[in-house]
Amino acid sequence: MNSLADNTIMLKVKAGDLDKMALLFERYHRPLYGFLFHMTYQRETSEDLVQQVFYKMLKYRETFTATGEFVHWMYSIARNTLKDQGKSLKQRVKHENTDDLAERLSGGLTPEEHLEKKQAKLGLYKAMEKLSDSHREVLTLCKFQELKYQEIAQILDISEIAVKTRAHRAMQELKSIYENTER
Amino acid sequence: MKCEQYEELFAGWLNNELKPAEKEMLEQHLTGCPACRAELASMQQLWAMMDEVEVPEPSANMKTDFSAMLNDFKTAEANKKGTTTGIKEQLSWLWDWKQKWSLAFNLALIAISFGCGYLVFNLAGNSKQDQQMAALTSQVHELKQTMMLALLENPSASERMRGVSYTGEIKHADKEVIDALLSTLNNDPNVNVRLSTLEALTHLASHPEVRAGLVQSITLQDSPLMQSAIADVMLKLQERRSVKSFRELLKQKNLDHGVRDKIKETITQLI
Repeated sequence: MNSLADNTIMLKVKAGDLDKMALLFERYHRPLYGFLFHMTYQRETSEDLVQQVFYKMLKYRETFTATGEFVHWMYSIARNTLKDQGKSLKQRVKHENTDDLAERLSGGLTPEEHLEKKQAKLGLYKAMEKLSDSHREVLTLCKFQELKYQEIAQILDISEIAVKTRAHRAMQELKSIYENTER
Repeated sequence: MKCEQYEELFAGWLNNELKPAEKEMLEQHLTGCPACRAELASMQQLWAMMDEVEVPEPSANMKTDFSAMLNDFKTAEANKKGTTTGIKEQLSWLWDWKQKWSLAFNLALIAISFGCGYLVFNLAGNSKQDQQMAALTSQVHELKQTMMLALLENPSASERMRGVSYTGEIKHADKEVIDALLSTLNNDPNVNVRLSTLEALTHLASHPEVRAGLVQSITLQDSPLMQSAIADVMLKLQERRSVKSFRELLKQKNLDHGVRDKIKETITQLI
């Protein structure tokens, strides 16, 4: 129902009712920010990228055909935007938010749980940072965007089997990095 | 089935996307494969831990930034649309106008086309046409003159008379024509030809040499008809120089009585 509404709204935007884009922004700027944050680990960059994605969706609204879901189209544009910025992003240090995240996770736990969980999550966090981009991408879309493999297949423009295989390889890589990371 | 072939099912199992048959197939394998069982268990652990990985909240600026971007975009689009629709409106106005006034428009087009054509041909060819026309006129003129002169030499009196009559159509008789006419007037054996010539010359009286020729001709005429006719012409032209010639004529002893009286009267009227 929600996705049908998304397409209806986007078709209105396409027809010239540009203000309707504010509704889609309200719905999707957080998940989109989450995806872009996991792909860059930079807050400000991610916020800039969210703006860029919404700008592109406005500018290229004619290319939206409603044959697929709005979110798939949005993530496709987000991926292209990332590709455009890819090289400059890779030059940057990705670990800037690690301590910040640890701080965030620290509230509401007993001192013992606190330390153990904090370390475990930090380990996972660091392991994810070290994943290759394509592996992190498929896991991010699956876990943080809560998309089905079939949907991810549409966004990445590959077969569903290829997505599943990639997800499995990503988990293998993540496990390997996580287990070999010193905590 | 080898362990690698269960990769797909591993991924499906983690995301809870397996169909009952696939789930059963995987569980069957796991019971007989401790390695796969251990691997999937650790993956499952990580998978669950990832749920707790948080994403920082986007800043409050994002929404205001988006609103600003949307407004800028709308303004840019409006401007873009403004110029294109402006042109479209003007074109559609022209279209409407054309449809409404279809007949008038077409007629106007035709009129303009003819006008342009006329202008083009006239501006380009007007002087040329005039030149051609003038050349043609002068050619016809020359032809008529040649024909007239030739006719005056013709032995037939009626042909010579025809030649004389052509002079009426010659608007600007040149010296050659006048000389030929005066010669005919004085020398033509036929009195009718000479009378016709006199009449023709009367029309050319604005030429000084014609008047002079006519005055000189008075004493040369021996026919009473011609003498009488010349007297009439001189009276008509009010040519005072002719008085002297008439007095000369009066001295001729064999002058017709009727003519003598007429000349006397003419002299009286001219003086």
